[in-house]
Parts: sequence; C-alpha cells; structure tokens
Amino acid sequence: MAYALQLTVKKIENETDTIKRFTFTSDEIPLPSFGAGAHVTLHLPMGRRQYSLVNNPLEMKNEYVIAVKKISDHNGGSGYLHECIGQGDNISVSSPDNFFPLRTEAKHHVFFAAGIGITPFVSMMAYLKTIGRSFELHYAASGERECAFHGHIQTHFPSKSTFYFMKREEKIAKLKKALQNRTMGTHIYLCGPPAFMDILLEHSHELRYPEKFIHEERFQPEVRIENPQPFFVNLVKTKKTFMVSSGQTLLNALHEIGIDVPYTCRMGVCGTCEVGIEEGDVLHCDSFLTEEEKVGKMLTCVSRGIGHIKLRL
Amino acid sequence: MSRLNGFPFPFTKDQYTYSNNSVPLDPAKTITVTADYKNELELIRKLLQKHHQRCFRSLPLSIESQWEIMLLLFNELASCNPESFTFQKMGGECLFQNHLLAEEEAFVFRDVSTIDLEPLDLVGRHVQEDLIIMGDRHDGLFLEAGQLCFPSNWSLAFVQGMEFKSIHNQVPGIQNDGFIDKVERFISKIQPGAVWERKNWSITVTNKLDTPLETYSVWGKHRQEVTCENAGDLIHLRVEVQRLFRLPMNHDVLFTIHTYLLQLNDLIQQESWLKSFYQNIKTLPEEIAEYKGISTYRTELLRFLENHMEKGRRGR
Repeated sequence: MAYALQLTVKKIENETDTIKRFTFTSDEIPLPSFGAGAHVTLHLPMGRRQYSLVNNPLEMKNEYVIAVKKISDHNGGSGYLHECIGQGDNISVSSPDNFFPLRTEAKHHVFFAAGIGITPFVSMMAYLKTIGRSFELHYAASGERECAFHGHIQTHFPSKSTFYFMKREEKIAKLKKALQNRTMGTHIYLCGPPAFMDILLEHSHELRYPEKFIHEERFQPEVRIENPQPFFVNLVKTKKTFMVSSGQTLLNALHEIGIDVPYTCRMGVCGTCEVGIEEGDVLHCDSFLTEEEKVGKMLTCVSRGIGHIKLRL
Repeated sequence: MSRLNGFPFPFTKDQYTYSNNSVPLDPAKTITVTADYKNELELIRKLLQKHHQRCFRSLPLSIESQWEIMLLLFNELASCNPESFTFQKMGGECLFQNHLLAEEEAFVFRDVSTIDLEPLDLVGRHVQEDLIIMGDRHDGLFLEAGQLCFPSNWSLAFVQGMEFKSIHNQVPGIQNDGFIDKVERFISKIQPGAVWERKNWSITVTNKLDTPLETYSVWGKHRQEVTCENAGDLIHLRVEVQRLFRLPMNHDVLFTIHTYLLQLNDLIQQESWLKSFYQNIKTLPEEIAEYKGISTYRTELLRFLENHMEKGRRGR
C-alpha cells in the first residue's frame, strides 16, 4: 500500500537533450527500500505520474532517482517536471510499488529496451551485477546522442550490452534475431513504446516462447481508449445511479459518490479495484483479469461500461 | 487475568466460517515482542541446537531475501522497542544489540563470511515468530526457506521447496470454489510495504508450543487423555497470528507466525470468550474437527464448556 512521502529535489541532471535525471531525497525520513523494476508515483498538479526508479536497490543511499523524457509542454507531467521543477523544490512522491519485478529464478535475464524504456533495466542490471547473476541488454534508440544512460551502460556493463542505432527495418530484424535460440530458463523483459513491444511479443509467439518467461512493462495501459464515451452505472446493492463522464474513470466516479473501492496501481495491473458486473457490456482495458474472469468482473481504474451497466456494489 | 491480556482471541462470529480473513495492518509490523520473549527465545534456541535439520531449512535461491529479512527484523525490533534493542547500519556494516539477552550481532550486509549462521537462522534467534520465505516465482509461490520451531502438526522438511497449493492440499474444503487459487493470487498481489494479518486457531492438549509432525508420537497421544474433568487444565487454545509481507528489494514474501497458547481454565474466565469458543467448537464441520485433531475429545470439551456456561448462568 503506497503512501505519500514529502521529498526534496536534490539534483537535476541532463541525461540527453530531452531526458533529465531527477534525484529526490529527505533529511527527515528514511526512504522505504525498493526492488529492481519498481516505480514511484509523483503527485503533480496535472495528476499522478509513474516513473521507474533507476538506482541500484542494494546501494540506495536515501535517494530515489528517475529519468524523465520531455514529451509534453508544461501542462503535461513530463513538461512540468522539465520546466517548472528546480533543485530544492519539494515534491510529494508515493512510496515505491513494483509491477515489473525480476524473476530471480531465471538462469539468464535478457532485457529489450527502446528509448526511455531503458529506465527499469538500469536498476535491474545494477542489482543483478551486485548479486552476480547472468544478464544481457538489447537497447534500441534513434542515435547515440538520444540514448539515455549510454555512457553509464558502456562503463558498467560493456560486455553485456548491444545498442541498436541503425535504420528501423534493420533494427527490427536484428532485435528479432536476438530473441531467437534462447536456452531454457531464460527470462525475457520488454519495455518501450507499444509498437516495439508488439513486434517482439509477436515474434516471441512465432517462436513459441513460453509466455510465463516473458515480462513486459508498458508505458500505457494495455488497451487505450482513444475516445472515451460517457456511460451510466446502476449499483444494485446500494441502489445508486450515476453517470461516468468521458473525462473520468469509473473508479473516480465511485469515489466521488462515496463508494470506497480500494485501488493501488490505477493502470489495470494489480487487480485491487475489481468489482462484479451484474449486467451490461464492458470495454476491458486491464492486463490482469483472465478472459473467463472478464465475463463477470471489471477493473474500475481503466475499464469502462458501454451505454448502461449494472454493478454488484 | 494477565494471561488474557493481549491474547489474540480469534473468533469474531458465533459460528465457524471459512474465509480469507486477512486484514491490512497499520502500522505495518511483521513481528511482536511479548512478555514471554525470554522464555520462548530460550526454547527456540534449544530446539535449533538439538534439532537443527528439523527447525531450519533453506534453498540457495533464498539467500538475498534472507539478508533482506535480517535487516528488516533487526530494524523493526529496534524501532518498535528502543529500550530493548538497538540497530545501527553504516554503509554495509551493521551492529544489532539485544539488551534483553545481553548479546550483540556485528556483521557486514550481504557478506556471508561475517556470520556463522545463515541470515534467516541468525535473526530467527532474536524473534518469537517462526519465519517462512515464500519465493514468488513465475509459476507460483514456493516455500524456499524457513525457521520453524513451533509448527502445528506440520513438517518443514516435508514442505521445503513445495508450491503453495500443494502445501495446503490436505486442508479440507480448500479446493472448493477455487478458494486456494484466490488466496494464492491475493498473496501474489500484495504490494511492497503492506502487511496483512490473519489469525489461525487450533487446540493443543498440554501447553507445548513445539508440536511438529516429527514428534507426533510424543504429543499426539495426549488427545486420548482429555476428560470432562481435566479439560480445563489440559486443553489450550492455540492461536497463530500470521502475517504476510512483500519484501520490497527481492519481491519474495515473508510469512511470520507468532504462536500464542491460552489454557482453557483461563479462557473461561471471560464469559464472552467462553460462549464464542463453545459455539465455534459446536458448529465446526466434522472434517475440520478431524483435521484440527479435535474429534477425539470434542464431546468431552463441549460438556466441560456447557458446565461452565451453566455455572455462569446460576451465578448471576
């Protein structure tokens, strides 16, 4: 259960022209420890934003470090961090959660990153190196200049890393090749833009790679609704009716009318905010429920009703 | 009345129910130090000395989580009971002082050459809880290490390396409606920093805390000796306060078990407990009574409780 910590911005450093590294700390409280692949949630004026931690969990010195790529102006989370946050500022940060843990039983770990998707692997590689386990990195970026942590990776994991700066077709062909002929017990981790992940996932299916050995962290929920529509909700136990507007999640709407559905991740990953469906069609957008479960349940943080639905609340 | 104070009475309803009765704990603490600390630690250490193979088991994969647990528990002991324990960590160098036992442990974090025992074995000698590590693997939860001195009729040697569902296979009704699958999914969803607690109860005849499967022949036979007359002395309500905690650094699950015993003669002093205990024993399904080892003497136990409830009514 994540809780909010009041932290100070200790350092801001340029990682590339568009990516900055932020270091948060506290003089008052010991920061909770975290694992490789964990993220923190920043509470920003435009809402909550999640970023992977890039520190080595075993060598954490009361600091959380994240890397943020600027993809918006100051009205968006990344632009706000780049333009409006300075050294010495205070910021509210939820304690770390982890939806992308390492599978330490792996005989060998293979990381595939594209762009800013490198961040969880920076932490994972440092951890694995410290405990002396076997891993390798395949990292695609548009060029060395745009490649976050290029120098860091070259310094600390030179023999374990391959960079892919070539043209798209060649890049895809080489990345697919890197997925092939893996020995048993190898776990694969993917993090990057949806198109990158889909290509590699699809190829892993073609190779009949066992699904439980492939792990992915997506920047966005599994299914993104481009044009969310409003819908009506009936709660059959508490006998309430309300509308969820296009800009609102069902979870938020429930909280607004005082129905205290528990939640954790708000991205359709953890399953905490599950509710029972009594009647109606649902657009499932989570990556947690099984196909059978989706018949009678939905995750209120990302999934939406179509038209009019009835819930067992 | 002192035995009643702080005893984690487990029954919340006047009828036996089967559920995932876990609740989140705030503050999130994995262990508790009670007045029995010294006595129990003496017993724990004696058992580890005499029956190490029975009371401690670990797989090599568990070592990182063992270190994490050692830090976590030393930290928690010191921060919750500063007058009894102190813990300092400077870089990797650690010093734990146990003022209750006048001992100290100095070690370097993650350096096995600085400790004589495995980390879980070492820290387990400073807490009253049994400690179990459930490894969270891609294909389920597996029992990968444990220091278990006070098991209620189970064997660490037998379950070491086993998957969560296989360990619980023999619990009656646990497969119904996919119950055990839901519990496993619940555990695998626990996020770092959260502690979930549940109370599990059974009955021990005599006040013996260490009742492993391996010594059943020693303690199991007392079940035949219960009569309506001696039940108050012999029978003890045994409550395990079980806590689940997701280890933030290594993502495995720490399972702690703190075992409490309360003699029936003490329990019946509290009228509401007497009534609640009676109703639960009475409504216990036969297969659960059998599983908990109560069937042999359930009639005698119920008669004893009825007599005391009757006395209570006459006394008013």
